[in-house]
Amino acid sequence: MSAPAVSVRAPRAGLGLSAFEASVIGLVVLLLAVAVVGPLVAPESVYRSDIANALLPPGAGHWFGTDDQGRDVFWRLVVGARTTLLSAFLVVTLYSLIGVAVATIGAAGPRWLDETLMRITDIGLALPGMVVALGFAAAMGPSLRSAIIAMAITGWPITARLLRGIMRQTMEAPFVAGARALGVSRWRLMTCHVLPNSLDVLIVKWAGDVGTTVLVLASLSFIGVGAQPPSAEWGATIAGARGYVSTAWWTVVMPGAAVAITSIAFGLLGEIIQVRRDPSLRGN
Amino acid sequence: MPALKVYAWFLLKRLGLTVLTLWGLATLVFLMIKLMPGDEAQMAAGADASAAQVEAMRIRLGLDAPLVAQYLRFLLRVAQGDFGTSIVTLQPVMSDLGKVLPSTLELVVVAMLINLSVAIPAGIVAAYRQGGAFDSLCRAAAVTLGGMPAFWLALVLQFLLGRVWRVVPISGQVSFGMGSPVVTGAPSLDALLAFNGAGFLNALWHLALPAAVLAALFSTQVFRTLRASLLGVLRSDFVMAVRAKGASARRMLTDHALPNSLNPVLTLAGTQAGAMIGSAVLVETVFARKGIGAYMFNAVAQKDTFAVLGSVMFIGTVVCLVNLAVDVMQLVLDPRIRSAQFGSQH
Amino acid sequence: MHMDRTFQGSPTPGPNATTLARAVGLTVDMPVQLGASSVRIVDGVDFAIGVGERVALVGESGSGKSVTARALMRLDRAARVSGRVEFAGRDLLALSEREMTQVRGGDIAMVFQDPMSFLDPLMTIGDQVAETLRIRGVGKADARRRALAVLDELRVDRAAERLDAYPHEFSGGMRQRVVLAMALVGEPRLLIADEPTTALDVRVQDQVLDLLDDVSARRGLAVLFITHDLGVVAGFAERVMVMYSGRIVEDGSVDSVFARPRHPYTRGLIKAVPRIDQDLDRLYAIPGAPPPPFARPTGCAFHPRCDAAFAPCLRDVPAVLPVEGGRAACHLHASQGA
Repeated sequence: MSAPAVSVRAPRAGLGLSAFEASVIGLVVLLLAVAVVGPLVAPESVYRSDIANALLPPGAGHWFGTDDQGRDVFWRLVVGARTTLLSAFLVVTLYSLIGVAVATIGAAGPRWLDETLMRITDIGLALPGMVVALGFAAAMGPSLRSAIIAMAITGWPITARLLRGIMRQTMEAPFVAGARALGVSRWRLMTCHVLPNSLDVLIVKWAGDVGTTVLVLASLSFIGVGAQPPSAEWGATIAGARGYVSTAWWTVVMPGAAVAITSIAFGLLGEIIQVRRDPSLRGN
Repeated sequence: MPALKVYAWFLLKRLGLTVLTLWGLATLVFLMIKLMPGDEAQMAAGADASAAQVEAMRIRLGLDAPLVAQYLRFLLRVAQGDFGTSIVTLQPVMSDLGKVLPSTLELVVVAMLINLSVAIPAGIVAAYRQGGAFDSLCRAAAVTLGGMPAFWLALVLQFLLGRVWRVVPISGQVSFGMGSPVVTGAPSLDALLAFNGAGFLNALWHLALPAAVLAALFSTQVFRTLRASLLGVLRSDFVMAVRAKGASARRMLTDHALPNSLNPVLTLAGTQAGAMIGSAVLVETVFARKGIGAYMFNAVAQKDTFAVLGSVMFIGTVVCLVNLAVDVMQLVLDPRIRSAQFGSQH
Repeated sequence: MHMDRTFQGSPTPGPNATTLARAVGLTVDMPVQLGASSVRIVDGVDFAIGVGERVALVGESGSGKSVTARALMRLDRAARVSGRVEFAGRDLLALSEREMTQVRGGDIAMVFQDPMSFLDPLMTIGDQVAETLRIRGVGKADARRRALAVLDELRVDRAAERLDAYPHEFSGGMRQRVVLAMALVGEPRLLIADEPTTALDVRVQDQVLDLLDDVSARRGLAVLFITHDLGVVAGFAERVMVMYSGRIVEDGSVDSVFARPRHPYTRGLIKAVPRIDQDLDRLYAIPGAPPPPFARPTGCAFHPRCDAAFAPCLRDVPAVLPVEGGRAACHLHASQGA
């Protein structure tokens, strides 16, 4: 007899994806593919009204039915995917850039500037973002462009706050002290050493941000300060179909489902990335 | 007494922060006004105002003065509660919104109650049985609900529950003939004040669906936050000490683990109360309710931009005040914060 | 072919004691991840504690002593405990969770290493001490009165005025007395003290030890005293058990173990106890570190650190065999003792 061998399976390493992770990533890839290819293959009738075929229920001819203008709901969603995703990417990119700028200037600049910028960030965090974005978009004149700009100028405080905190941690790292000893200027130290080593957090964050942004963008369009009809953007599509929910449910349910699926897919992708970066979060 | 002095100091500091935030908000709104394309006086006076009326408005708003003077004048007006005038109702935005605020608050309060009373028990059970079936179910539900557009959920539920199954009223605040004399503007409160029991229940019945939709969106965050916080507390040492005393799971959770996990939830609920007021704009119109959200929505539809910006100022102010109230509440509830603020009293 | 490594016959307490608690083949597995693999932290431990007896459980950190102690009370919800745990003739592992709550705090109580982190920061110390009684249906005023009595007995300064104070308002030593009061107020028969003095400074350590000594003597309380510091054991316990990598490697009366340690690990621990007459820079430490439970060496887990290791040590887990004055699990003694 020998002692019972105590064996432990090592935690999964490498890129081995679970079925769930694979399906989330597959879904995101599919959505991106639709956004890229969709408008190229969609029939040109998506913007043309055809009253004779209005409000047809889903069927063989029109998978998701037709709307009040007789336009095919499925193809409008396919075309709207590009508008929606491109806008969301743009918004996240823009406010991330602002956030990076604010955090870096704060870190590199004099103390009073850092304090001031962080105070402004606090103020931004304390205000209801969607309402302020709504105000900006309404003021600039309702349009998709206004909504994108409005969301960019209200979205940055979370990024700035997060990044500033991470940069503060990075500055404790030995290589920073080394660079400092070599006489590297503070500005160069921040932009060339500390910032690149702190950007990890944004990589982890962007997917979840896209998911939230898709939601807020659809909301602004629904309120009427975002994309305007006849845009195929999903929120505007729901706003336009609002009156038909009881007579032609598919005109409302389908675009809303598209928003929900996109938002959920990117949100889950964000969580997957986060857990992969920091396995201790698993199960939380 | 020194303790009282420290309390006062905390309040003063917190109040200063609120004023700073309100100042920032007013600055943003001023910026929005300046971003508006076209002639501001013309817009404020209305599209069909005469040239003389436009000039009068220009002088009233002080638009002939330099920008800095305009800004200071704007701040002064805002400080006095003048948030602009609607070109549709021709009423000050403040008085329009003041009338409908109780209706929104009624919605938000009921939504918050539903939110917390669903999410907190769910979070407790999910955290205690981490990885179990209930936990998985709740997490899946949180992910799904969290990704749904609010207005869409409202439309779909209104259609399903209101029209297809006919279990709740689809719109309005109270049935015809069930109303009570308007005192506060919140139908449920008005019914109570008029001792109209049936009217009160009817008003709550009308609130059920809109409040549930609003609650659904926010409860996912509460659930996640409480679950994460509780998981942390359940791993902490004193939970083991409580078990070692012979406390049942229920006692350990309700008397010890929960109070120690509620802080982030309370903070979150504070921000949520504000965000809910903002999200009312997505829900109120769908259910044809009165409120500041519906007011804002209509203002956008009627291109009444001054009313929109006035609403932004108004909602932002309400949010700041709610956050202030939550902070003070937290100070009163948590002895550790008290001692952190005041130093421990050995 | 090596021998059955479980202790032959059931474990017994020291002489002149009737058995109060007994563990037979106690094994604890801890999940590494939710629902996934698990690690064996405690691997078939046998021991007994007599009524009123004071037993020390000694080992480096990571040896599994705290996990063993918690398993006796089934404190850790995630742990999978197997084997047999008896208390006053009852099999604790067979009890329902509800019955177990009666045992915890009532029959067996526990005090912990760091009194601050083991107190609920949001509850007054009066309520926390009284809670042990409130759980058992004692009325509010009565529970409070008895809580105060115990706090007074433990010489907590101005206890009456400070019943409604919070833990952060107490000093480390006072907190440990509060934790001790929490444990004693339910009038348990066995107290498990898990490194109760480690987090305290030396002067306060002695006070708490004296108090523990005093109180357990007065109440006829059995104490399982867990520590990594053999120096603390000598003045307090009657019997000592030495644990290494999830197994008991030696036990016996304090006198015989200190006078004639059988296991090289025990010898190392004794050598590592600092003495007043010793130069500080000559402090002895056993070379190397205990193995992590998921990478336990084959054979005797101590062999990579043992200067007396020979062939069987690498191959077979040594059996726990009786030696004069106790038991030891070492191949050196397996060959001699036979």
